[in-house]
Amino acid sequence: MVRCARCVPSLVSLSRGSPARPFDDQAGTAWPEAPYPVLVVDRHGGLVRVNAAARLLLPDAARGDRLHERVPAWLSQAHRRLGDGTPGTFAGATAGRIDDRFFEAHPTPAGDGDIVWWLVDDTDRRLAETALSDARTRTDVLSEASSALLSTLNVPRCMEMAAAMAAEHLAEAAVLVAPAQGKRYPVTSARRGGPVTQSTQKVNVAEVPGLSEALQGFPPVPARWINPADIPGWVVPENFAGPVGSVIVTPLPGHGVPAGALILLRSGTEHVFSEGEEVFARLFAARAGAALSAARLYTEQAAITATLMHELLPPALRSVHGVEYAGGYRASRDHERVGGDFYDVHPGTGPAEETLVVLGDVAGKGLDAAVLTGKIRNTLHALLPLAEDHGRVLELLNGALLSSHHTRFATLVLASVRRRDHQVHLRLTSAGHLPPLIVRADGTVEEAATRGTLVGALPDVTAHTVRTVLAPGETCLLYTDGITEARGGPLGDELFGERRLRRALAECVGMPAEAVVERVQMLATQWIGTGRHDDMALVAFNARRNGSPTGVDGYGDSGRDE
Amino acid sequence: MTTTEPTEFTVTARREHAVLVVRVAGELDYDTSDELVDEVVRQLTAGPTPPAEVRLDFGALTWIDSSGLSALLMIHRRTSALGAVLHLDDRPEILERLLQVTNVLGHLTAPVADAERGRPEAGDGTSVARATGARAADTRTSDTRAADART
Repeated sequence: MVRCARCVPSLVSLSRGSPARPFDDQAGTAWPEAPYPVLVVDRHGGLVRVNAAARLLLPDAARGDRLHERVPAWLSQAHRRLGDGTPGTFAGATAGRIDDRFFEAHPTPAGDGDIVWWLVDDTDRRLAETALSDARTRTDVLSEASSALLSTLNVPRCMEMAAAMAAEHLAEAAVLVAPAQGKRYPVTSARRGGPVTQSTQKVNVAEVPGLSEALQGFPPVPARWINPADIPGWVVPENFAGPVGSVIVTPLPGHGVPAGALILLRSGTEHVFSEGEEVFARLFAARAGAALSAARLYTEQAAITATLMHELLPPALRSVHGVEYAGGYRASRDHERVGGDFYDVHPGTGPAEETLVVLGDVAGKGLDAAVLTGKIRNTLHALLPLAEDHGRVLELLNGALLSSHHTRFATLVLASVRRRDHQVHLRLTSAGHLPPLIVRADGTVEEAATRGTLVGALPDVTAHTVRTVLAPGETCLLYTDGITEARGGPLGDELFGERRLRRALAECVGMPAEAVVERVQMLATQWIGTGRHDDMALVAFNARRNGSPTGVDGYGDSGRDE
Repeated sequence: MTTTEPTEFTVTARREHAVLVVRVAGELDYDTSDELVDEVVRQLTAGPTPPAEVRLDFGALTWIDSSGLSALLMIHRRTSALGAVLHLDDRPEILERLLQVTNVLGHLTAPVADAERGRPEAGDGTSVARATGARAADTRTSDTRAADART
């Protein structure tokens, strides 16, 4: 008997006030007043006694009734098993539903073969357990959602996963509406067990109650206020099971701006969304919104960077009018800081015309530097007709770049190049840039004696142009300080420096321009090792070795040796 | 003497009557140049009267890149607007080389122009740094004349 009293779960006995003393002590006088429904049943299944609490539970039950006519089968069958004398059956309680409550039934023998059934209401514990298990499931779903959604920075993929997870865990179908792109809305629909479809539709979001508010990030309209009959057809996914029974619309909060809205649908045959489910839907939406807006921000930035990088990407160089040009560009590994090195080769209109080579470096990093680089390249392109006078070009460029807001400047080298016979005639001008280096046929490396002011920061600039001639096998190199200031070497923090660059160039006599560029790049890269570095750009050119000086013959050689 | 991070960037400013002395230590680059400009501008506008002279002391400068030079150009704009003369003192080789190549030393340390100052100012060479005076003078004249002479 004591054992059976102990069988009553402590949770219930505390809340319900279990019998203070064993049943036997009461000599059958306690149970009629017991707060538990108690049924005394004879060995043949006839009801002997029904206490007050049991009468509240089973109003029709009366003495002499057959047990199986008054109680659910789980209890009458348990009683029959006891009657059969199956051993061990008194050891445990049996449990089941009576109406909408859940009971544990504890049998105790009462002499004469009668059995006293104590019915302990277990509904609240069951509910608590269900709620706990639900909460655990939801927590699992939320953390799964976060880790799954945050693992992608691809916006469509993120929307697809969010809709699929919402359809799986929150509703029968989920529709994710992203903020409008122009007049169209990206709509991602998922049905539980079905495929996810993504499309961009010209839909009227005002048709769905609460949707336009949710897309603006306003608090959600409670589900019970949305009439399922008001839901337009575009919201309901194909093959949705029957008419919509209940709907939730919740915003996807982003970083400062809404990341979209989530519409959850259940058909008429499913139960309507409870308040708890609405709260859960909002929690899910918060995670999905955070992931989506992270993906969107990343995508936007990546697109901007890609556009800029594409614009900044130096052109592929080739031979022009008998001169071989080669360029090398190694962008800083620091991707968020787009550097400002650039070069361009503007071929002369004919072999007798000069080709203008530009190599430069914009101060600073990132967007500002990229914008300035673009401006410089465009301006120089427009100034090409004036390229005969480098000083004038730089003056005009300087004027175009001056700004009262900043002192961001650029340094650059202009090289006007023209081949005559086997020689290459050069005009070189540095505007605050490292002077070009010239590898002579005897292996000496000269620094072109050109000097000039950087452009873009001072009201006036001056520049001095030098002329020189490249004999066959001689090469001119334009480079940015990313090469000479490359940090590395055995100690990891030493500059590559001009001396090493010159030494490397001295070994490049007679090499094709491309080989010179590759050699310098290779040495600088080896020097850096795994360290960080700035942008590195270089352009080399020399007389094309094989073949005739293309097209030069027809134009005469007037004015060589100027 | 405590050992600190050798590349740590610091700006220390002190006002001696009409002279503002700003000591710049460490690496003046993309990450630190704004700090220098902000501090100098703050000092320029701090007192009741702006300084007549601003001396940037680069004795402990270990590195400067193009962003750092851009900062110096901005400081020059600010000091000129107030009529203060800028001096670049105790320049290390790295700064000297950068100023030479970019050809801005003359501009940065020139006496304040009449238009900017609002009153005529005579004399030159007030900006020549102690350690590298000869080199600085050479740089200033090299814009046109020296370059022409070289060819």
